[in-house]
Amino acid sequence: MKAPTSVEPMSQRMTVTFPYKHSTGEVTGRFLAGLKEQKKIWGRRIAGQGVVVPPNAYSEIDAKTGGEWVEVADQGTVTAVGVVAQPVKDLHPSTEPFAYVLVKLDGADTALAHLVLDRIDDIRVGSRVKAVWAPDEERKGTIRDIACFQLVG
Amino acid sequence: MNEPPKDRIKYVQTDLHLPYHYYAGDYKALYLNALKDKKILGSKCSKTGKVFVPPVMSSPDAHAPCTEIVELPDKGIVTTFCVVNVPVFGRDLELPYVVASVALDGADISIYGLVQECKAPEVEMGMRVQAVWKPDGERLGEHTDIKYFKPTGETKAPLESFIHRL
Repeated sequence: MKAPTSVEPMSQRMTVTFPYKHSTGEVTGRFLAGLKEQKKIWGRRIAGQGVVVPPNAYSEIDAKTGGEWVEVADQGTVTAVGVVAQPVKDLHPSTEPFAYVLVKLDGADTALAHLVLDRIDDIRVGSRVKAVWAPDEERKGTIRDIACFQLVG
Repeated sequence: MNEPPKDRIKYVQTDLHLPYHYYAGDYKALYLNALKDKKILGSKCSKTGKVFVPPVMSSPDAHAPCTEIVELPDKGIVTTFCVVNVPVFGRDLELPYVVASVALDGADISIYGLVQECKAPEVEMGMRVQAVWKPDGERLGEHTDIKYFKPTGETKAPLESFIHRL
């Protein structure tokens, strides 16, 4: 038969899920334990890089191991912003508009990737933000033990 | 305490979700709708006469339009196959099971399908199989409307008859 010229559109929504269980390793594992158990953010002083947050097991400069643990503040300065105006359900961490930010915490020399959920129109590079901690019973040892960051002032 | 806890977090669950909104397009919509009626449709190349299933609008080898839609039988040949011994997330079939390329009679390429109603080691290249459909009322216009293929018991096809249709 001849192919019809007009066919009713057909579509389907589906979500492909990759269930990853990610092994943290020695250094990231202790960083996460610090969030969960101590409500503290830890970095490591690594030669040539300063205080790295979140910490690495190896120097990115010369691949040397080691480094002293340094606690940094849970406040810092935004170094980059990416506003997600139209979040995609399941793909993004929030169903409301939010911003991805890089935050250079006070005492750190590198920036940590995280979220800002409120007042996203006011976020700029250079904005001061502070961590909003998840309640004790909800901290599970993930980066979302810091629920989000929020603007200071 | 001037260090993070020694008792570290060993794992984090980081599920990745990829939400899709898939549009079938005209030919795939025809194909999928026809499955509801236990029909398998292909398209024929206007230049070479090759039959593609699921139907494509232009042939990938001759770059010619495939303007004719043809109906194919639900019988064919296992061209190549794989015995699955490892459980896969989201699919709870009894192990081991067989996933095969099935060249339907009259088609020039194979479609994907499960082979059941026989033991995995009994499946071989050239084995004749027939589709087992979901019952009436349960077919939704999805490729899984064909539950699986089962052996017909017919004489196995010679390699030359399907080597170009893998």
